[in-house]
Amino acid sequence: MASRQFLSCSDTADEAVRATCDDASTCKRFATSKGYWPDHYVQYFVRQIGERKAPEINRGYYGRVKGMNLLLDSFLKKTQCNCQVVNLGAGLDTTFWRLKDENVMPKKLFEVDFPMIVARKIHHIKTKPPLSKPLIETHSTDSLLLDGHSLDSDRYCIIGADLRDISVLEDKLKKFQINPELPTLFLSECVLVYMSPEQSSRLLHWITETFPTAMFINYEQVNMNDRFGQIMIENLQRRQCNLAGVDLCQSLDSQRERFLSSGWESVKALDMMTVYSMLPQEDVARIERLEFLDERELLQQLLQHYCICWAVKDRLSLDLSQIGF
Amino acid sequence: MTDYGSEKMAEEERNSSAEKLKEKANNHFKDKDYENAIKYYSEALELNPSNAIYYSNRSLAYLRTECYGYALADATRALELDKNYIKGYYRRATSNMALGKFKAALKDYETVVRVRPNDKDAKMKYQECNKIVKQKAFERAIAGDELKRSVVDSLDIENMSSAMVMVEILVQVKEVLTKLPSLVEITLQETEKLTICGDTHGQYYDLLNIFELNSLPSPTNPYLFNGDFVDRGSFSVEVILTLFGFKLLYPEHFHLLRGNHETDNMNQMYGFEGEVKAKYSSQMFQLFSEVFQWLPLAQCINNKVLVMHGGLFSEDGVTLDDIRKIDRNRQPPDSGPMCDLLWSDPQSQNGRSVSKRGVSCQFGPDVTERFLEQNKLQYIVRSHEVKAEGYEVTHSGKCITVFSAPNYCDQMGNKGAYIHLRGSDLKPEFHQFTAVPHPNVKPMAYANSLMQLGMM
Repeated sequence: MASRQFLSCSDTADEAVRATCDDASTCKRFATSKGYWPDHYVQYFVRQIGERKAPEINRGYYGRVKGMNLLLDSFLKKTQCNCQVVNLGAGLDTTFWRLKDENVMPKKLFEVDFPMIVARKIHHIKTKPPLSKPLIETHSTDSLLLDGHSLDSDRYCIIGADLRDISVLEDKLKKFQINPELPTLFLSECVLVYMSPEQSSRLLHWITETFPTAMFINYEQVNMNDRFGQIMIENLQRRQCNLAGVDLCQSLDSQRERFLSSGWESVKALDMMTVYSMLPQEDVARIERLEFLDERELLQQLLQHYCICWAVKDRLSLDLSQIGF
Repeated sequence: MTDYGSEKMAEEERNSSAEKLKEKANNHFKDKDYENAIKYYSEALELNPSNAIYYSNRSLAYLRTECYGYALADATRALELDKNYIKGYYRRATSNMALGKFKAALKDYETVVRVRPNDKDAKMKYQECNKIVKQKAFERAIAGDELKRSVVDSLDIENMSSAMVMVEILVQVKEVLTKLPSLVEITLQETEKLTICGDTHGQYYDLLNIFELNSLPSPTNPYLFNGDFVDRGSFSVEVILTLFGFKLLYPEHFHLLRGNHETDNMNQMYGFEGEVKAKYSSQMFQLFSEVFQWLPLAQCINNKVLVMHGGLFSEDGVTLDDIRKIDRNRQPPDSGPMCDLLWSDPQSQNGRSVSKRGVSCQFGPDVTERFLEQNKLQYIVRSHEVKAEGYEVTHSGKCITVFSAPNYCDQMGNKGAYIHLRGSDLKPEFHQFTAVPHPNVKPMAYANSLMQLGMM
């Protein structure tokens, strides 16, 4: 009797990675419900769960969201929105609606994630007017291009694809009219770390070969060689979640090096402890008053094991390397 | 004679033979010859297998020969044949008692009392059994050893620690604590040794490990737990139940001091309130809150070593007498000596600074020096801060930190530690330990760090 394995080894690994989308979404949902930063749209993507998140987690996400947004907004400003943004592994991100509300949209925002996640996201958009209405407002015709695994409109495109398969990714982006001549910002939050160093390197190479003027902002782990890092890796393994690219997360140097060796011209990296200290401190003081943190060491360790790394390739000499904190 | 008739006659013959065998067995029983009693009851049963009385009598004989399993089987059989046979319930209850199945026994005694409300013996047996059930629950709740064996056993605590037992414990602990001053003073004799533990934070399996490494508390093995028993970890209820149980068992040799997490604000945010509400009720949490308010704030050993959860004071000039006089039955105020005792931290530079925590202060080595001198003490022991090695010696040995929650929040990878203090020289001796595995249960109020896994 032939037996068919329902989920192959890599399927299980991918499933575990997809589950991190829920982690991030529920954490962001909880933090926004407590007032850490405004996001009127995340509630349409994920339910409020009964449990709290610990204050250090909320502060950590605050640092992440604020940090990424600061750099994204700087890029939009520098290019005067005459640009594209590609969010790799975007999950249930609500950036489109934020940028629309603030009236600072790029020419087009592309989001890429596993087809299963994209299908979920599209379902929410289709069925919830607060999500679909703003989308339709930015679209020139009455109908959006919607199928099971992709959504395309004039200003917003969501693509289901595997980031490890560059040719498919390229095809789909081209199909939905990505313009390699426009300055393009690539974002990834805890995405590259799930790919092997070879796979992420191929992706980064492809970008620099295809987009002459580009920036990449990467948020993920760093300083993983110590005890805290080792425990994180072990805890994740118990959840069948494999940090395939963790070797590149050894230090800020290794994070910078991976960009320099894949065709990027300049790169900067800061751990989140530093980023946190460079965010507008008045707002930091405000959020620190929202919930009392009992053990600062927990936040410190967390912040020291994540970083934001941003790399630039500036054919058009837009001064993109000036972007920072 | 019809066939039926002859069958009937045969049956009657068998029954009367069985009765004769039963009489024989009874006589052996009276003579305490239980083996033969059993033999003849068995023969009687061969002839008449549907006689509840035979089973019941044989059950009693088995009890006498300590064959409790057989006794239980026979009692059960007797009741299957005749559910109104009161003696059967007695026998089954006795068998269950002997097998340590007190809850099951209690059920049968209840039945007897219900059917025979005027039966004094039945009532007495019921009450005795009830007491034992409660006693066993209490013992099981506070004895660590058996419970460590498996997850199922630890789940047993959750079933056994019924609200009644919990309330009983809390009421009694409160009684004990209200009699204590805010500054507890103890004397360690020359030959005596005290173990001081720091924060445990609901890490029940690590607490059990401490008792494994350092033996269970007893009058010859006294302990002092320096606050922060609950919150953050997944098993705060189990931890506090264990600690309170030992407090009741050995009030003079098991000491508990209040930490900043034995307060309403912290419990609301960091898991304990949620855990208690989920496992019991809000009223139960209210009771915990009241009991926490009576925990003493500091302990002085041999007039030489002072222990408190947080640290020293925002102002100079505080004396031991000032601590003694603190009216502690309350939530800690935002500032002042009671707040400092629960919240402050040492710093390396002299003087005092605003605390990074936003409450109380940070105090330097000079502050420690002055305090010790003024109060004629040698050094202080405190907790409150996670340390990679489980402990830290600062202020030239005058300020010691001890932290007993290893791999704090399943993330930090730190060691835990405890201190041995001998009455002979009062020199601290440090013992470190690492985390032990625990069931993958997330704390009630919020997702455990294990589940959280940082920021994905």
